Order: sequence, then structure tokens, then C-alpha cells
Amino acid sequence: MTAQSARPARRRGRIDGWRWGGRAFLVLLLLYTALPMVWMILTSIKSGFAAMQFPPQWWPSEPTLASYTKLLDPKNSVGQDFLRFFANSLIVSTCTTILAVAVGVPAAYAFSRFGFPGRRFLFFSVLLRNMFPAVIFLVPLFILMRLLGLVNTHASLILTYLTFGLPLAIWLLKGFYDNIPIQLEQAARIDGATRFQAFLLIVTPLSVPGIIATAIYSFIGAWNEYIYAATFLTKNEQLTLPVGIQRFFSENTTDFPGLMAASFIMSVPVVVLFLVLQRYFVRALTEGAVKH
Amino acid sequence: MSAVTGPADARRRADPANPSIWRQIWDNRADYLYVLPAIVVMLIVIAYPIYYTIELSFFQTPPGLQLRDKIFIGLDNYKAILNSEVFWRVTLNTVIWTVASTVVSFILGYGAALALHRDFIGRGVLRAILIIPWVISAVATSYIWKWIYHSDFGVIGAVLVELGLADRPPNLIDNVDTVLASLIVVNIWREFPFAMIMLMAGLQTVPDQLLRAARVDGASTWQAFWHVTFPYLRGVSTVTILLLAVSNFNSFIIPWLMTGGGPSNASHIWITHIYELAFGRQRWGVAAAYSVLLFIILMTLGYFYVRALSGDEKKGAGA
Repeated sequence: MTAQSARPARRRGRIDGWRWGGRAFLVLLLLYTALPMVWMILTSIKSGFAAMQFPPQWWPSEPTLASYTKLLDPKNSVGQDFLRFFANSLIVSTCTTILAVAVGVPAAYAFSRFGFPGRRFLFFSVLLRNMFPAVIFLVPLFILMRLLGLVNTHASLILTYLTFGLPLAIWLLKGFYDNIPIQLEQAARIDGATRFQAFLLIVTPLSVPGIIATAIYSFIGAWNEYIYAATFLTKNEQLTLPVGIQRFFSENTTDFPGLMAASFIMSVPVVVLFLVLQRYFVRALTEGAVKH
Repeated sequence: MSAVTGPADARRRADPANPSIWRQIWDNRADYLYVLPAIVVMLIVIAYPIYYTIELSFFQTPPGLQLRDKIFIGLDNYKAILNSEVFWRVTLNTVIWTVASTVVSFILGYGAALALHRDFIGRGVLRAILIIPWVISAVATSYIWKWIYHSDFGVIGAVLVELGLADRPPNLIDNVDTVLASLIVVNIWREFPFAMIMLMAGLQTVPDQLLRAARVDGASTWQAFWHVTFPYLRGVSTVTILLLAVSNFNSFIIPWLMTGGGPSNASHIWITHIYELAFGRQRWGVAAAYSVLLFIILMTLGYFYVRALSGDEKKGAGA
């Protein structure tokens, strides 16, 4: 898909060497990236028997959607569980996203604009949080949740997900605010707006792309989170998708088509979100690290 | 913009250039309202756990995590770590895992960014496909690759047999010699798109005139890259490598779900080991001591990260 043979041949062999080398590299990279995903999809439309053959059926001889209908059918117990995991993931991810944005927007704005003492220290402590792995916080947060009586609730996850959602939100949004000209607010202030009005009515509407990017980011992070969910939740009806799938298939270790179908369904929402909004997403990520 | 709006009082007049820190805080008190909700959340879910981890690392806590029954044992947990053989094995694994994942992801991402920089038909689609592994859940990634590596029905084994490179499917992840490398391949699959995104954005900041001038002066493609593009991307590259290193050092899901650290600790890295110590064997004190050591390592990395970021800021302001 990367090759274009229609170009007129050029004499400058050296440049073409680099170009064709680059294309060959991209083709190899594409195979590395895409083949595992293709194999996931091909496996998910086989029957359990067809998947367990050697040599394998490279192409499913009798493709079937049985794994998908089983997982998505609310009438059988497998489908009920799976749909409930899906709904749980949706609830937790949405709440996390809303909170991260609501708390992150004013904080990022303050870090970008104000000169209060301790600003740099606080900002970098926020950034440093994302250097620490979840596992370190697991035991103390578990104790904290037990103390607050939140074990086995979605609130425990939402609160915890803010530990990585919020620093990221602040970092991403600060990058956006840094690039919004301060003159706009100064003009508003001259026209009699208070500082808060200038923030709410002038700057916030301009930062909508940044807010969208932050929201996708928090959502994907929460949707994919596994460790906290695996530790804080024990009741089956509370589980989110990543843990639900793991528990579920530790009991059915040979149902690989089902496992691949579940992995596929779990990936669909985040991949769609990413593909639809990738322009915001990519820009926001690099805004903090690359100065334009 | 907000600091100097209040009426000037005597103290400020005495030293207008350098008001006391309390004065500054008081003058800017409204600023803190904006960051207050964020600070409160961070205190609850970050400062408190850090404090608690440090405390736990000096105690022996019963398996049921009854905090009232914990016994102070000083540095014994730390001694236990340094005296165990597993510690050195796991540390070596962690170094191999982190360095190999980071270096290869960075190189692949750099190459992809360079190759995708020039426009061609299908570039957007290709870029989107290459990024997908980074977006999907690591849990899904682990299961997909576990199936690909499956010792009886895995597709990699089947391909090797089909090509005549093996008599029967090799057992890649139940084998002490190959397990770590096999998992690193999975990790790179998931990590290189991040490097690609960062460097693609970096490439857009390289001024075209500079590259054209180099070509006019007779520089080859490689020379133009080495003398113009590469130095220009040094800042982004440093940040990318540090972020990759931290995220690889902190990997958990892929090794944990694919092998659980086995066989015989061959794929345990620090994080999975800490998790197993805490939640598998209820050795809370030792796990906490490990976490404290981890803090120290990460704070050191974090110091360089902050320095790289602030260096960038200064350069950006000067340019």
C-alpha cells in the first residue's frame, strides 16, 4: 500500500535508495503491527475446533460469528456477564473522564497563567506522579479504600484512576493554554471582565480541542486499566472488561476464538474513538514535549 | 499578571523587588483556588500512599494486612531483599527488558517517523494502523500474543514448521532461554508507536529552509539527516527515551498476564515481583521496601526528565 510505481524514474539513485529503503521498512513494520491483529480477527471467526488444529487453518474454512453472538447475547449467562463488564467499563471510564477534565481544566489554566509561589514545584510533582507504577500505590490505596469503605465499589476505581488521569489532563491542557495568546484575556479584562470570567468565557471555549484530547486520553486510560480493577473488585457483577475477561477465561482456558472475540470487542470502542479524533489526540500528546 | 493589583503597603514599599514568600502567597491567594481541587485529590491518592509505603517498609505486617499488629523491624526488609538470589535475577531481567524495549522501540519509531514524513498515498491510513497497538488494552495485547506463541497451536510455531525451520512448534514462552526475548517483542509492538508519534511531531518543527540549504551545499541524504535533523530532534528524543524507559521499567500487564514471571523467574521484572510478593505471598513489608527502592530509582530518572523538559523550555523561549 505504500509503493507507488507510477512515479517517473529518477537518476539520483542515492535518494531513491533511501526512499525505497524507507518503504521496505514501512512494509515490514506494517506486517509486524497488523498481522497479530489480523490473526486475532481470523481466530475469532473460527469454531473452537477449527482453531485448535495443526497445521492451522490459515483462512477459516467455515467462518462463524458464534463467539460474538455468544458474548453479546443477553439471554445466556456468558453474554449477561460480558455485557455487564462492558457497561461497568463504560460507567467507570466516563465518570473518570468527566472528573479529570472538571478538576484538570482550572488547575492547568492556573499553571499556565498565574505566578503564585510553588507553581513550578507543584507542576513538576504532578508530572512526576506519572513516573510511578500503579503497583507501588496498590497496597496503600487498598488500605485507604478499606478505610473509606469503598472496596468493591466503582467509586474506588474512579478515585484511583484520577491519580493517572489528572496529571495527564493537567499536562496536556497546560500545553494548550500555553499556546493561547494572553492578549485575548487582557483585552477582556480591559473591557471589564473579571479574571474568572475571562477564563470561563474567553479561554475555555478556545481550548475545546485540548479538552477533547484530554477526555479521549483519560477515557482510553481508564478503559484499559487492569491492576487496580483486579485488586479492588472481587464481586463478579462489578468487574470491568479487562479483569472480567481475565477471570472469565481463566475458567475457559481453551476457548481461544471466544478470547479473541472478547479482545476484539474490548478494543473496538477505544480504536474508534482514536480513529475519529486522532488529530486532537496526537497533537495534544506532543504539545507538551515539542515547542511549536 | 495578577500579583501587583492590590494597594501597595509599607512592607512592600520597603522591598518592592523581593517581597517575602508569605506576602507573595497572600497576594496570590486567589490563584490557589484553581489548583486546590487538583491538589486535594493528589494529596489523598498520592502523598498518603507514598507516606504509607515508606512506613510499611520498616514493619512486619501480618498476611491479613491487620495494621494494628505490625511489628517494627528496622531495616530487615531491605536486608532480606539484598540477600535474596531472586533479587539479582529480577534486576538483571529488568535491565534487559527496559533497555532492549526502549532502544528498539525508539529506533523503530524514529525510522517510521522519518519514512512517514514525506507525503504519499495512504500515509494517513498507514499511520493510523501503526498507532493502533498503542491504543488497545495491554490485556488484549497479552492474550493475542499468548495465542500467537501458543506451544501447540500458535501461528509462529506453525509458520516455522511450514517453512522447514523447525521440526515441531518451538515452545517460546515456556522456555527459560527465550521467554524474556519473546515478551520484549510484544512490548515493542505496543511501545514503538509512541516514539513514532513524538518524533513525527518533532520532525514538523525542523525548518525546511535548513534542509534545503544543506542540499544546495551538496549534502547527501544521510549528511542532511545527521547534521540537521538529528541535532534538531535531540530535545524530543531525550524526552521520548526517558518516557519510554520509565514506562518500560513500569510494565506489568504483559509479563504478568503472559507468563506470571515464569518459568522459574525468567520473565519476572521488578514490578511483577513486587506484585507477587505483596498479593501472592502477603509479604507486605518486603514489597513496600522494594517500592521505596523503586521510588529512589524513579526519582533519579525523574530528575533527568524534569531537567530535559526545563532545558527545552529555556531553548524554546530563547529561540
